[in-house]
Amino acid sequence: MNDQPDSTGTSEAYGGGLAERLGGNAVVEHDTVRIYIEREAWFDTLRRARDEEGLTFFSWLAGIDWSKDVAVGDTVEEPDELDERFEVMCRLSSIENADAAQFITVVPKDDAVIDSITELFGGAEWHERETHDMFGIDFAGNPNLSPIYLPEGFIGHPLLKSYPLLAREVKPWPGDVDVEDMPEEES
Amino acid sequence: MSADYEALMHRSEVAVSVELQTQDMTLNIGPQHPSTHGVLRLVASVDGERISSVEPVIGYMHRGYEKLAEVRTYAQMTALVNRIDWVSGFASEVPFIIAVEKLTGIEAPERAQWIRLILTELFRISSHVVFTSSYPLELGGVTPLFHALRERERVLELIEAMTGGRFHPNFNRVGGIKPAAGGGKTQKQVSMDIPAGWLEDTRAAMERILGATDDSDTLVTGNELIKARTTGVGVIPGDKAIEYGLSGPNLRASGVAYDLRKHEFHLPYDQVDFNVVSAEGGDCYDRYWVRLQEIRESANIVLQAIEKIPAGPLRAKAPRVLKVPKGQVYVRGENPKGEFGYYIISEGGQKPYRLKIRSTSFSNLSILPWVLKGALVPDLVAIMGSLDFVLGDVDR
Repeated sequence: MNDQPDSTGTSEAYGGGLAERLGGNAVVEHDTVRIYIEREAWFDTLRRARDEEGLTFFSWLAGIDWSKDVAVGDTVEEPDELDERFEVMCRLSSIENADAAQFITVVPKDDAVIDSITELFGGAEWHERETHDMFGIDFAGNPNLSPIYLPEGFIGHPLLKSYPLLAREVKPWPGDVDVEDMPEEES
Repeated sequence: MSADYEALMHRSEVAVSVELQTQDMTLNIGPQHPSTHGVLRLVASVDGERISSVEPVIGYMHRGYEKLAEVRTYAQMTALVNRIDWVSGFASEVPFIIAVEKLTGIEAPERAQWIRLILTELFRISSHVVFTSSYPLELGGVTPLFHALRERERVLELIEAMTGGRFHPNFNRVGGIKPAAGGGKTQKQVSMDIPAGWLEDTRAAMERILGATDDSDTLVTGNELIKARTTGVGVIPGDKAIEYGLSGPNLRASGVAYDLRKHEFHLPYDQVDFNVVSAEGGDCYDRYWVRLQEIRESANIVLQAIEKIPAGPLRAKAPRVLKVPKGQVYVRGENPKGEFGYYIISEGGQKPYRLKIRSTSFSNLSILPWVLKGALVPDLVAIMGSLDFVLGDVDR
């Protein structure tokens, strides 16, 4: 029930074809199509995805901080092999069928700037502002990168893995107790 | 006439023309204003009665769910995600839990899927009733609110009888739904199913809702004052709606008949028969009308689901301590307000490495500066209200 065929058959076939046509590497997992592209090709690839592939609907844009330096939460599975970087991802989808793809590009931490796509999708402006707030990534060409969620004068970027969650610093959370050491139950 | 008089006239004309040079006035609306459904501030520049530009200031309710998710287990997150859009709590839980189920490979039993479908539709009715009743209030009509909220109460009673909560059910579990009541082993045997008589009560309530929607039709839809305030006001063409990522009824009112329940569903929507309601105008009236019709469609979906719901268990076996394998998944669902999705990056372990929440109202509100530009100040509340946003959903 969970797998619906999209216009081109399975999501694997769709993702592979899309990556071939637009240039990039496709990874398809759990029906989620991820297309990894170069940072330089960010704007052009998204434009072509919109104009040539029918992915006209701008769903969202966000960032990820791949970091060994984790202040709170779990770290990555193999921290030694981690390549420190930001990733910016943008999800576009069709408004006629279930076609959709996640476009992901690597943004180095020492040069955290990427082209803005506000010219392609007006809705991207707020998402880019949010990503700028949360990760400090700059979007070249965005007309207004002022803080959207954070108050004026806020220092730091809260979604960076190195940013501590102050509530947890002050008082450790007892939540782990809830899910461990429960007696075995019969079904 | 004396020369003095003419000089005086000339001087006064100069004075008048100087005075007539107008300057845009900055009008601050909010953050606490009844029409903002939470705390939203609008900084509007107005030129007389026209709005020349508007800058929404959001973030007053930013609670940082994406950061909080990184320190919480998947099971703990369901209690939080239904607080993002509090008018449709259950509907925002479902995509999250399905995303976790996809990552872990646990599939919920069919009966649980159908109950998820019924509850999602009940929350859709509840959310749309809040809109169709409070929107006339924003336009100055008080009566529909009392009529409609009385019927919404019946839906909330059903939700409460099933889940124990009216707004924040926290009813989804990985692999199914929570058994209706807790308790010891003996009680568990009898309480492993939905409350007795619940389906019959739901059928009766849906028939009342259909009747109440007819009432709303006569009371509001044909009302000349409502029509005059909303027809042709705040028009969003389809291509602009797509570009800004508007979804749900806001998109469908602009002539784009796209509904995720038809295209990318994770609940048995293919086994029920319903129409995707859409309108061509893209104005405030159409956005109201689409939602009102969707109440009917949802009630019909629930009536069909009551007939089709199979017997069986409510929950698949899932480990107590849920370790989610490494992987990335995006699952979206048709929330009452539009596309609501979760992108989960799992690096193995009990907590997500990163959770991106695609909240509907954030994108739906981002068109506000575009659609309000050039609008009349008296239409501001009508346009803003017609987008049906919840600030918890905007700010996350």
